[in-house]
Amino acid sequence: MQKTTGGIVEWLIPLAFVAAASWWIWHLPAFLLDWLPYDSESLRGQVEAIYLRSDITPNMPGIFGGHIDIFDLAALVLTPILAVIGARSVRAAAMEYEGASAIDRVSLFIGRVTMMMIAVMTMVMLYEVFMRYIVEKPTEWANEMTLWFASFVFLMAGLYAMQQRCHIRIFLLYDVVPRWLQRVFDCISTILIVLFAFFLVYGSYKQVFVNKLYKWELYGSAFNPPIPATLQPMVLIVISLVALQAVLNLIADWNKEPEIHTDEPDEEEIQMLKRAVGQD
Amino acid sequence: MDIGTISLILMLALIVLLAIGMPLGFASASLAVLVLVMKFEPALLLNPFTFGDGILTGRPGTGPLYILAQKIYGLLTDYVLISIPLFIFMASLLERSGIAKDMYSSLNVWLSRSRGGIAIVTSIMAVIMAAMSGIIGGEVVLLGLIALPQMLRLGYNQNLAIGVICASGSLGTMIPPSIVLIIYGLITETSIKALFTASFIPGFMLASMIILYIIVRTRLRPEDAPLPEPDPSDPEPIEKRKLFCAFLSIVVAGFSTALFIRAAFFEFSGSNAANDGEPARLGTIEYLPWFAGITIAALFLIFVVFGKERSRISWHMGKGLVAPIVVIGVVLGSIYGGITGITEAAGMGAFAVLIIAFLRGEGSFELVWDSLMRTLKSTGTIIWVTIGAASLAGAYTIAGGPQYVADLIVGKELPTMLVILMMMLILLFMGAFMDWVGIVLLIIPVFLPIVLRLPIEEIGFIGQLEPSQVAIWFGVLFCMNMQVSFLSPPFGPAAFYLKSVAPPHISLTDIFKGFLPFIGIQLVALSILLIWPNIIAILL
Repeated sequence: MQKTTGGIVEWLIPLAFVAAASWWIWHLPAFLLDWLPYDSESLRGQVEAIYLRSDITPNMPGIFGGHIDIFDLAALVLTPILAVIGARSVRAAAMEYEGASAIDRVSLFIGRVTMMMIAVMTMVMLYEVFMRYIVEKPTEWANEMTLWFASFVFLMAGLYAMQQRCHIRIFLLYDVVPRWLQRVFDCISTILIVLFAFFLVYGSYKQVFVNKLYKWELYGSAFNPPIPATLQPMVLIVISLVALQAVLNLIADWNKEPEIHTDEPDEEEIQMLKRAVGQD
Repeated sequence: MDIGTISLILMLALIVLLAIGMPLGFASASLAVLVLVMKFEPALLLNPFTFGDGILTGRPGTGPLYILAQKIYGLLTDYVLISIPLFIFMASLLERSGIAKDMYSSLNVWLSRSRGGIAIVTSIMAVIMAAMSGIIGGEVVLLGLIALPQMLRLGYNQNLAIGVICASGSLGTMIPPSIVLIIYGLITETSIKALFTASFIPGFMLASMIILYIIVRTRLRPEDAPLPEPDPSDPEPIEKRKLFCAFLSIVVAGFSTALFIRAAFFEFSGSNAANDGEPARLGTIEYLPWFAGITIAALFLIFVVFGKERSRISWHMGKGLVAPIVVIGVVLGSIYGGITGITEAAGMGAFAVLIIAFLRGEGSFELVWDSLMRTLKSTGTIIWVTIGAASLAGAYTIAGGPQYVADLIVGKELPTMLVILMMMLILLFMGAFMDWVGIVLLIIPVFLPIVLRLPIEEIGFIGQLEPSQVAIWFGVLFCMNMQVSFLSPPFGPAAFYLKSVAPPHISLTDIFKGFLPFIGIQLVALSILLIWPNIIAILL
């Protein structure tokens, strides 16, 4: 019997991570203003205006004499600490593929964080439905907040799926060829994934990191969250991580025995459903 | 490089990459890069050392390759896409609660004495589950766990039992809300609500054809579906009918009360007065007397005609149906009541299932945790195929691909129905090997432009479609096609889902053998859609 997962700590660490990361991402212009000074005065003014409008703690004095206040710094420092604690403590559930390397654990932890984000975004959406249709005071922020969270969820779920090796593939030919040929196939796949990531990053890093992130482009709505400024860099970052994970998968699975892939659901899923209909 | 060559190379490369087992999403994504290279900088293919000289790679950090990042960004910020994880979340909560089991028992009570009763119950239950969520898989497994042992124990024909479970279990993607139609609507920019409305009648048509088949077959060959031993505590047939009517009255009373409260709330909170757009459907003051009248009539039936005692018994027999009906009311009511969009409806549905699970004493952090994990896995796989295909579609469109293919086919001046028939054959063939996600994302963007340019008066034999309905019709047609693909050998996923919970003596070959008559039924339904396309427009 495998140990079950989902204890209280496994909820709290990812949640804390989401909170800390959200905090400093929201206040990212403060870091940009202080640490990566803008050449153009008008651009600096623009970003500063955006920052001052959205600062959650406007009365906190900036440390380093600038815009970063103590909470922002604490969130920034806490994020990697929580990630390390989370990655060290994460345990794979019975239905999950548990990798050996440290990167696998990071991917698993990112999976946990994404799970929490799904829960949070669902609650934000229900809050908006409640406010709009029952109280009739629709919020400005909830829909776009859901959208923002969801887009991050979609990206990070792909990294998790890569680590779990559950991306949709066709095993028709793959399962009948000898193992050495399977390795050749895997190598081709991995090289192409890496090439895709390379071309994507090569072809858009300036647009993404300068024109969107550095210039802090907003969504252009009433609430105006920095979705372009944060999501576009995230696309490049996650796709690079996925490529890295693909390479690691290739190395980790190099000596694995061949297995036949079917569409059958996994054992734990079936146990779960059996319990639901009362046949243990 | 001209677009004909690009298309040919693209097709061959796609086949090769899929055959070697490269993940679908990444295969399409890397081919998107290949298409851009062929279009803008073919020299790079022959001589990689020219990297950095051409239009594509000459300016690092910007240029045509940025289109890919923009396409992905555009897809990720599509609000409707959020409904996919939410529907998956709802389905996994549903599967893990005992709602399905109770629904089965409740349905079984009413039909246990009819010939082929359990098979019919299985179909009806599948339709109800299909109307709650739009995912197959779990549904087939659940039906396999609940209904298969019982049918086999009673001595039902094994093929009939297997076929009914899988054919009905696949209905989830045909009856709204359906995740196949959501993705179809997303990539073809068709109204998802219209797709849902249009698929109602074809979906129920297919379901009733399955049920009709069961009835006819068990009448002709009673040995296929033996009746269970009569249970002495079971009420007489006439009494049972009365009990059923009493139960219906209770449900009607509950719903009309809820609608009455809703309309009254809208009216007296001043929301109707403040609303200057379209009035809330069934939510204005004219409806109040109607709901009040229906409620009173139903209460009269419950307490006077049927009597309190009988109503109480009927409630006990039927209460397993109440939770599913409430969930359907929440999801479809949210979409069609004009209250919220598809995305919010999915969120509300998940919330309703969670509340019901807690009320039933099954809700726990563990339940939510497991469902979230399942959601994460399915989301990652579905969305990333979508991401890859969106990049490929973007790159191919810039290269002029869909236009070229459409010109090619339309220029041949083939008979319209022949073109559509060939598409159906290609879809059926692909469906036997590939997941529906891959088909909808890779093939539909090429097929739909062709269909849209075919002469509309030649589509179908009876009735004529409006130009605005062609995309909707093709979506429903595609969905019907996928019904077949869930069952068709050698890779029909429904067979594998059932195999995982079937008794060991039932082999995969047995399962596929059981599917044959049901595949026939699906093909009949498909041809009705082809011959009479207007069937989708009845509710539109």
